[in-house]
Amino acid sequence: MKILVCVKQTPDSTVRVKVAADGRSVDASQITWAISPYDEYAVELALERKDADPSTTVAVVTLGAARGRDALRQALAMGCDEAILVSGQGAETLQGSAVARALAKVVEEAKADLVLCGRQASDDDQGLVGLALAEALGWPHVSTITKFAPADAGPAGSFNGIDVWKEVEGGHEVWRASGPAVLTVQKSEKDPRYPSLPGIMKAKKKEIPEKDVAALGIDARAPSLEIVKMEPPPARGGGKILKDGDMKQTAAELVRLLREEAKVL
Amino acid sequence: MIAPTAGNAVLVGLLIVVWAVGWGLFVGRAWQLYRYLRLGRDEDRTQRPLRRIRDELVIYLGQRKLLKRPYYVRGLAHALIFWGFLIITIGTVDLFLSGVFGFRIPGTGTAPFVWTVDLFAIAVLLSIALAVVRRLFFPPPRMHVALDGYLILAGIAFLMLTLLLFETAGLVAGVAAQGFTAPPLATLITRLWPSPFPGESSAVVYGAAWWGHLVGVAAFAAYLPQSKHLHIVTTLPNVFFRSQRPRGALDLITKIEERETFGAGSVRDLSWKQLLDGYTCTECGRCSDQCPALATGKPLDPQKIVLDVRDQLLHEGHRLVRDGADRGTPPARYGPTKTEELWACTTCAACVEACPVTIEHIDKIVDMRRWLAMMEGDVPPEAQRSLTNIERAGNPWGQPPDTRADWAKDLGVPTFAEKPDAEWLYFVGCAASFDRRNQKVARAVVEVLRAADVSFAILGTEETCNGDPARRIGNEYLWQTQAQQNIETLRKYGVTKVIASCPHCFNTIANEYPQLGGSYEVVHAVQLVDRLVREGKLRMRDGATESVAYHDPCYLGRHNKVYDAPRDVLGAMPGVTTVEIAPHHRERGFCCGAGGGRMWMEEKVGQRVNHRRMDQILAVDAATPVTKVASGCPFCLIMLDEAVGAKAVQERIKPIDVMELVQARLIARS
Repeated sequence: MKILVCVKQTPDSTVRVKVAADGRSVDASQITWAISPYDEYAVELALERKDADPSTTVAVVTLGAARGRDALRQALAMGCDEAILVSGQGAETLQGSAVARALAKVVEEAKADLVLCGRQASDDDQGLVGLALAEALGWPHVSTITKFAPADAGPAGSFNGIDVWKEVEGGHEVWRASGPAVLTVQKSEKDPRYPSLPGIMKAKKKEIPEKDVAALGIDARAPSLEIVKMEPPPARGGGKILKDGDMKQTAAELVRLLREEAKVL
Repeated sequence: MIAPTAGNAVLVGLLIVVWAVGWGLFVGRAWQLYRYLRLGRDEDRTQRPLRRIRDELVIYLGQRKLLKRPYYVRGLAHALIFWGFLIITIGTVDLFLSGVFGFRIPGTGTAPFVWTVDLFAIAVLLSIALAVVRRLFFPPPRMHVALDGYLILAGIAFLMLTLLLFETAGLVAGVAAQGFTAPPLATLITRLWPSPFPGESSAVVYGAAWWGHLVGVAAFAAYLPQSKHLHIVTTLPNVFFRSQRPRGALDLITKIEERETFGAGSVRDLSWKQLLDGYTCTECGRCSDQCPALATGKPLDPQKIVLDVRDQLLHEGHRLVRDGADRGTPPARYGPTKTEELWACTTCAACVEACPVTIEHIDKIVDMRRWLAMMEGDVPPEAQRSLTNIERAGNPWGQPPDTRADWAKDLGVPTFAEKPDAEWLYFVGCAASFDRRNQKVARAVVEVLRAADVSFAILGTEETCNGDPARRIGNEYLWQTQAQQNIETLRKYGVTKVIASCPHCFNTIANEYPQLGGSYEVVHAVQLVDRLVREGKLRMRDGATESVAYHDPCYLGRHNKVYDAPRDVLGAMPGVTTVEIAPHHRERGFCCGAGGGRMWMEEKVGQRVNHRRMDQILAVDAATPVTKVASGCPFCLIMLDEAVGAKAVQERIKPIDVMELVQARLIARS
């Protein structure tokens, strides 16, 4: 089985994101970039499949700025077999639906049997690309999955459809896909693996082919959506500690504050 | 002259056969052990030869590490048996030479020598009696009591007695007839005999003692290398080749970018010295006695780590010697719970401190962790997160790196970029930068340094984690990356003097950064304050009268022997009485549970180490009430804070950093 995992490079969760001077984008100067967390789970799920069946190959693709190469190296270090970077003029600002159409070309070229994506990216939380990709490919799609496995024990290496565990309120459902499918990942059972040092060293040396997004021949019309404004959340005020006075006074003061200042009573 | 072989060819032949067999078995086994030892990787252990000779005299001959609390009586018994054994060895040579060649070593057979043998015989026999009684009736919990120990004790007693009889009977028979007072044990023996070795019977006793001794020596030689008693031989090289690195420094993996394997994935990857440690362990269990992980019910037993290495080597050695490509089982997977054992270690060095034969437990554990972390990516998930945080954010908490200096915003602390001529760098560390409780300690340090007019600056957001947790968890690569980044920054500003308020920063910058070319004068804040107080540059006023228990952080105390500076600083505070958390203070200080990367792992098995530490503090508090427990480490502070909460004594006993106590008593500069 050949699995293709689509990942997006987003600001690492340890980064405090700042709004840029234009008020409508993120200041990228101080950002540490990483694979978006759900996408990392997708990589882990794919690699767990490869652990169980070594004939599986796992490829990883990202579309966007050239720095995405680092995200691909991380995935290679974790154990992916190959990586594809789709970049070039306009790649970074491509709209989600166009990204999906571009990725569909990559999936077709790579002849993948299965495509995994994170359920949504940690930067825009749109959750669009996986679904749109399924649409562009004309493949079925299952969302918020936590596990998948070959449906039955067919002849080794052959593809006989897969069972997919999908998380639902209070439990899970098992769906069966008879052929190629796009799955968007909620979580893997294990945390994404820690790359071994030889893995990191090997990934450093590995050739990562770069495709020009323009060469994929997709229809990337002028964006129909644009961000017009970004605002950070309001700064949190400091807490208040009531120390003075006896318990009765303190309680009375607390009630007063809750009523008059916080206006919750 | 009564020569037991008396030139008799049959008797000489018999002796040759007995000794050839005994010593042949010894040499055969020794050669095998040596060949196995050579499976280990190379490691140069010859630097500082004079210190090594000194160690040999103090630790091997002087038995220094045995004579330690709480082992004084047992330690003395061991030392007496050991020194007695050395006397026996001289006696054996003399006995052999005189019996075969009729030649005596000068000095033997004289009154002083016979008295020495006699007195040591008394001491050794009493010590052996003590050892036997202990094994039979009060076996120490961590000691493996087995037949081996009894056989060895009996063997030593036998050799001691036969030597004594030989010397005594020889004297009485007039072999070296000199008129002097017979020593006490000889006197006792001669009293037991109706007529002390008269005529022929003296010759019989003499001959029997001679033969008994030499056959005994051959049997002892044959048995020794099969036994843990081999330590009497292996301790000699094991002490000589002990690490002369600072204790707090782990071994550097050189040329890490060019390697293909990391850490101990095979016994071949442990150094020959680490394998020699295995041969040297005498299973006394002193390391186990002191281990905070074992004491709180964790699967780790430091003694087992060492013995596992030995057992695995003996088990696989033959195969590995024959097949150079065979790597055997990775030591980290040798045994069902091995990885849990390895991850339970706090690297507190209580075991290393306790070991009488200078075994290096931590290095083995870290080498196995290195293999798990770097080759297998097999790290406890919580620890993995902290490593990823260090990689991406430069701190194990995963806090935004651009907020690193936020604690100092309102203090106007200059960065080196702003004050390039500052004399000292205050390396704040992640804990004091990001942890709310420890930010107060950083503020205290700033206030104290200002009060003493110390010229200093910080790195601000240019500072990044020193790498200590990564190195101890086993990710040497990440440690090197972090260290190099800091060394580069320090080079940029020409920093030569560093103050750290965290013992982990202090230890790794002082003892480990030189491995990568970063050498500085590094002090822990408390050492600098101690110096400033002595020089009269910092004065403290009266504060509250209070009893303060002092908790020794492992990386300040045992790893760097900074025991006195914090006590002196506390002692210089008017009104403060320092209370020792005896007997777990100074060299025997008990870990808070956070070292060795344990801060970043869950602790689900057994009692929490910090709770056990608090039990010890409360036991002291019951006798001498304390109001504060002071430390000099942010992680100890976090652990103690949690523990006072868990024991519901937070209203009564307040964990605090020594620097905060200093801050509260500062006399402002006029």
